Amino acid sequence: MAESPGPAADQVLDCTGLQCPLPVIKTAQAVKAIEVGQVLELLATDPGVEPDMRAWSGRTGNDLLGITRQGEVFHVLIRRAR
Amino acid sequence: MWAGDSEGKVLYVQTHGITDPGRCATPFFLAASAAAMECEVMIYFTMYGPTLLRKDVIDKIGPKGEQGQPLRYFIEQATGLGVRLLVCQPSLDLNDLRLDELIDGVDMIGGAAFNDLALTADAVISF
Repeated sequence: MAESPGPAADQVLDCTGLQCPLPVIKTAQAVKAIEVGQVLELLATDPGVEPDMRAWSGRTGNDLLGITRQGEVFHVLIRRAR
Repeated sequence: MWAGDSEGKVLYVQTHGITDPGRCATPFFLAASAAAMECEVMIYFTMYGPTLLRKDVIDKIGPKGEQGQPLRYFIEQATGLGVRLLVCQPSLDLNDLRLDELIDGVDMIGGAAFNDLALTADAVISF
């Protein structure tokens, strides 16, 4: 598998195989558990994860650094901003 | 009744009860998603909705019957994220229920309080 672009993640959250709304809920909890400025990488296979994480980031004011897809797995990089 | 310290306030309304299990879980997981987006969230159970909160029911039904998670899983996912659950007395009467037959943490309101919540919410979503 190719390396994901963007900054290295401080923490990886594996939500592969989980359906909506679990990736959103687990991401919200995981971002609260890292420090402001740190980066979380979410791995998910739910096909709705891209619009969901754009909506979640916009709503919560955290930074969505990028979304890439490798095979079935979406890699979502989020920086805790507040 | 809204604490008002969140960016968004969402009120869900559940009118369906235990006779239609396929409709039992969605309000809970949408509410959980909204809470994860840092919204303040309540679910108001009216008409047959309060039957979904019966202590003796939540382990016995689920949206996909035997195949999936029981209703308790969806309720606890939502309440664990801070979603508040509300009922009104007439809908308890309609279903011959008392508040002590429901799971813990359900608050009783009335029609005026419901309408006030709806008027001051950012979104009201009814099922």
